[in-house]
Amino acid sequence: MATTNSVPNAHLADAPAKAGMLVFVAPMAAESLANILATLTSLFPDESLLVATPNDTSGTTYPGLRVITTQATNAVWPLTAADFAHASNAAKENGARGVMMLGPGADSLSTAALRGLANVVSDSTFDLALPHYALPPNAGLVNSAILYPLNRALFGSRARFPLSIDLAFSPRMAERLAGIAQRFVNSNQSDAIIWPVSEAAVAGLSVDEIEVGTRVLPQPAEPNINAILTLVTGSLFADIEAKAAFWQRPRRLPPEPRNFGAIHGIEGEVDVAPMVEAFRLAFSNLQEIWSLVLAPNSLLGLKRLSVVDPSAFRMAENLWARIVFDFLVAWRLRTLNRGHLLGALIPLYLAWVAGHLNVVKSGTSSETHVEAVAAAFESDKQYIVSRWRWPDRFNS
Amino acid sequence: MERFLATMLQTVQDYNSQPPPLISDNGSIWHHMSDALHQSVYRVLSLLIAVLPGILAVFVALTLFTLIGMALSTILRKGFTFLKFDERLNRGNSEWTPSSSPTALIARAAFWGCVLLGLIIGVSAFDVSYATGAPLPVSMLPYLTHFVGAVLLLIAGTLIARFLARSVLIGAVNAQLQYARFLSLGVKWLVLVLTAAMVLDHLQVGGNVVELAFGILFGGIVLTLSLAIGLGSRDLVSRSLEGRVDRSTDKTHPPQTETVPASEERHESIRHF
Repeated sequence: MATTNSVPNAHLADAPAKAGMLVFVAPMAAESLANILATLTSLFPDESLLVATPNDTSGTTYPGLRVITTQATNAVWPLTAADFAHASNAAKENGARGVMMLGPGADSLSTAALRGLANVVSDSTFDLALPHYALPPNAGLVNSAILYPLNRALFGSRARFPLSIDLAFSPRMAERLAGIAQRFVNSNQSDAIIWPVSEAAVAGLSVDEIEVGTRVLPQPAEPNINAILTLVTGSLFADIEAKAAFWQRPRRLPPEPRNFGAIHGIEGEVDVAPMVEAFRLAFSNLQEIWSLVLAPNSLLGLKRLSVVDPSAFRMAENLWARIVFDFLVAWRLRTLNRGHLLGALIPLYLAWVAGHLNVVKSGTSSETHVEAVAAAFESDKQYIVSRWRWPDRFNS
Repeated sequence: MERFLATMLQTVQDYNSQPPPLISDNGSIWHHMSDALHQSVYRVLSLLIAVLPGILAVFVALTLFTLIGMALSTILRKGFTFLKFDERLNRGNSEWTPSSSPTALIARAAFWGCVLLGLIIGVSAFDVSYATGAPLPVSMLPYLTHFVGAVLLLIAGTLIARFLARSVLIGAVNAQLQYARFLSLGVKWLVLVLTAAMVLDHLQVGGNVVELAFGILFGGIVLTLSLAIGLGSRDLVSRSLEGRVDRSTDKTHPPQTETVPASEERHESIRHF
């Protein structure tokens, strides 16, 4: 059974760093790489540290660091199956005590954050350590709207960033991830997304979160929200479909989350009116498609929402949960082409974003709202289980 | 020879000189009608007897191959489910997007392949038996095959029209085009008109009239769409052109400060990831 845990472990960040760990550094600029390697050298002065990276490090030496070069991958965001495969295989070959993977822009992580991630795993306390980034309310919105609530409701994990681009894991977890990643690589899907949280939950491995503060998050190379949302949500839905036998079983809810630091103010001025207009346009044009996917109650909720003034616009948490669950079921049933399905989700997601930003503007903390959304997903889990098993019971 | 001709002429003259009987023998009329009916019934029955084995062959072949198809489909479905084929394929190709699972598609393809094979075998048997006993096979059978082809064309065209219409509708809505539905309908009817013209052409119905009507309709729809999109996007195009002109001017006279449009700034302040 998954033992997703969030026991406070602030002491780990203060303890001296241990080594015997492999650090995988994703492709990045030479200057950023040099910064990271310098930080690692200062963090692990007494231990030999193995660094695996596809970057070119020739001509520079770092005391105490042994650098091996792995194959370069095409993707820059997020970490890919090929990255996981290379890191896990290198760790196995060199008998590393743990693996830490650092994504692009990791040089903006603090020393304490790196130390915390490394120590959680090298102390054998947990099998997977994920960072908890401090983001402003207008950032990481797909994660807040879909990835985190779904992972929490279905896999019982409170990991706030299931698709984090920095993480550390134990040899056991590395072995599991290597197996999954290698299958993707063998089938010529090197750029596929891996979901470590669900893998850990299914394998019964423990997960912890480390507060890492702010970080410069790399943005997708392709700025088109349509393409990116389709890629990420499609991958998550496929992962959920593959693990249906696991998450349908009832399981205990995870313990209450710790209070992590958050940034409260919205960066810049955000006008929600264009997003509300996009939703209204979709409501008047996509009803035929939505009616194939959504339950009548949800359609009624959307109809009411379509006449709300942008300043008072807010999508109810349970309505959003039902919408995402209905799309998940439609994904499974292939009610319509999957590309069309995820395309039809985009205006609804924008409506949620507009509502979320209005809630934050009204003075409610962003994290409070996201937790309320996740709680709505959790409390409605029975709905997704029922619809998954008996999809014809539609008009409930 | 002369005597024979003289006799013949005499007979004809006698026949012309005597008026025909006003009322002929009733029994003779009924006899002729009965003969005609008997011959007709005989011809139809002969035709049916000639065709019946063929029809029976069609039904037997179709039934037999449908049953084989059902069995094969069930075996494939269970086998692939047992081997977790879908999961393996999804791991290998996460971008699989058809509206059915790979297992269901393969099983369905196997079933319909068998049905089609049965139909072909049945029609071949029908062809052989029918050709021996009827005067119409040459015109009937090719038309049947054309009809089947036309039905397949119609189904494919309708499916493609629906798929393209949905793609355009969703894409246009996400691009926030106000005329998304109109655009989608236009694309749908373009494909449907093209399909209808192809079906009629395949059935050899209408001839030049169909080609002409298709050309007018297709051209009309394209023109309407072009006008609608052109007029609807007039502002967008003018803004784009103005932007180009501004940029080219900026290259010659660079401004002191770079300004970002308010809408662009607002858009950039949301980070989805």
